[in-house]
Amino acid sequence: MRLDIRELGQFNHLASQGAQRAAASLSQLTGVKMNVEVTDVSLVTDSVLQETFGGRNFVGVSVGLEGGLSGETVLAFERERAETLQKLLLNKAGASQALAQSSVSELGNIMIGGFIDGWANHLHEAINMTPPTYLEAKGTRILPRETLHAASGKGVFLFESRLEAMNVDLDFSIYMLPEYQEFVDLLSRSPSEPAIPANKLRAFDGLAKRGAHRAAEQIGMMTGMETSVNISRIRFVPLTGVPAQVGDETMVGVVFKLTGMPSGYLVILFDERSAKSVASAMMPGGMQEDGIGAMTEGAVKELGNIMTSGFIDGWANVLGTSIEHSPPNYVHDMGSSIMSPVVSKLGQRQDYAFVIDSAIEMGGQQGHCDIYALPDERELAKTLSALPSNA
Amino acid sequence: MTVTLTSPDGAAVDREKVGIADLAVVTDDTQLVTSGLGSCIGIALYDPEAGVSGLLHAMLPTADDGRSTAPEKYVDTGLEQLISAMQTAGAQPQRLHSWIAGGSQMLEFSGGKNSIGARNIRVATQQLSARSIPIEGADTGGSSGRSLIFNPKIPGLIVRTAKDGKKTL
Repeated sequence: MRLDIRELGQFNHLASQGAQRAAASLSQLTGVKMNVEVTDVSLVTDSVLQETFGGRNFVGVSVGLEGGLSGETVLAFERERAETLQKLLLNKAGASQALAQSSVSELGNIMIGGFIDGWANHLHEAINMTPPTYLEAKGTRILPRETLHAASGKGVFLFESRLEAMNVDLDFSIYMLPEYQEFVDLLSRSPSEPAIPANKLRAFDGLAKRGAHRAAEQIGMMTGMETSVNISRIRFVPLTGVPAQVGDETMVGVVFKLTGMPSGYLVILFDERSAKSVASAMMPGGMQEDGIGAMTEGAVKELGNIMTSGFIDGWANVLGTSIEHSPPNYVHDMGSSIMSPVVSKLGQRQDYAFVIDSAIEMGGQQGHCDIYALPDERELAKTLSALPSNA
Repeated sequence: MTVTLTSPDGAAVDREKVGIADLAVVTDDTQLVTSGLGSCIGIALYDPEAGVSGLLHAMLPTADDGRSTAPEKYVDTGLEQLISAMQTAGAQPQRLHSWIAGGSQMLEFSGGKNSIGARNIRVATQQLSARSIPIEGADTGGSSGRSLIFNPKIPGLIVRTAKDGKKTL
């Protein structure tokens, strides 16, 4: 089965439109303007679901789908966010008490309905929804059992739309998990290039994870800090949504251009505090610098170089190609604006990107680092297609 | 349907977010905000008589620079789209004023004079001048990222950078 990347983009676009409609319904019900920050889709394994949902309390609504697309849709809110929403509903003049009380179920129904409509239109087939079931659970137990089972096998496609209130401190995600095989069938109905063999996606995921672990080991060696890879996954996301995923916080980082097969960009970002911690740990006797200056720059560049080599080393071996990286480009600026030139460059050839997104934790609470790898889509498809099927 | 937050002068302020390769048009005092401008460019247009404001956040200079069909992605087609949306809202092209910000060169391998940022600035300036739309304020180039708020009440474009804080054009 070859997955048509354009078709995947189309589904992502439809999911995003569904989220926009859901946000509009929610705005109307609560009186709070909601904005859809980004919609992405990733093929995730049980361990990623564990990282995404683990340890948090959720309330949610589950709706079964039948017809053009079957599976389970789950709308999950973190418990405290659901409470904020309930308060907003109660405060809104005109909202009935009954609606406020059953708000999560009602919202779930309205939002999922909006989400599904676009898909049904695209498929020219009706998608029926079973009545919503209200759920309360901790961690991945909010997800259907079949989903968890599928995730430990081939993986599941996880659509995530992040919604954010404009002027109220409230953000949450809508998750949608269509049934794996059916979704793969949909994506391979009439594959056009670029296409990626479905069975190579897991190999690619493994490669990304190994890259992240190697980069984390390099931080450990250079700083003496304990490191662990917190999250590592491959997202398929509209390029225009990448900067929003990174956020507007001021970051310190390095950008590398990758050449070879596939070419692309690798961006390593630290928040300011973490940048200072790693720089200080790399200096014998600690760092004598106020703020973020030349010493931090030097340290972050050096560390970035080594992390990048670690990250891409394994790739060339598995992919049977060679990949080189440029010298580090140091940046200290708003995270979203650092991603801007990167997505613009890639945007000359593509609208969507596979973003390998890894989060590394350092020395317990000492620091945090994000790595984003954005390979050229066509070159990646070509390289993965050429992989032997046992890779 | 709208949220209010209180500005320092006590008046209520509404905000509308503009994403990347996106535009928005409003006909009241709603502030138009966008962030994550590196090499991208923001173009704000305002018709004082009709009270119509618009903001475009474009990624690339011209539609020839890519294969996408989304007009808002490019300065040339995005500007056309913005003006047309503003006309629908009651604005007239000959009454428009403009503000531009962005087009920085954040990365060394961006390509100097031919970097996407530099070309975005060139095309924006050319396109506005070709349409005889005066540029009231500009904060372009350099190597810093920016976030923008167009405030129709001033009217003016508020530019924020990580290093230099806020200024109003």
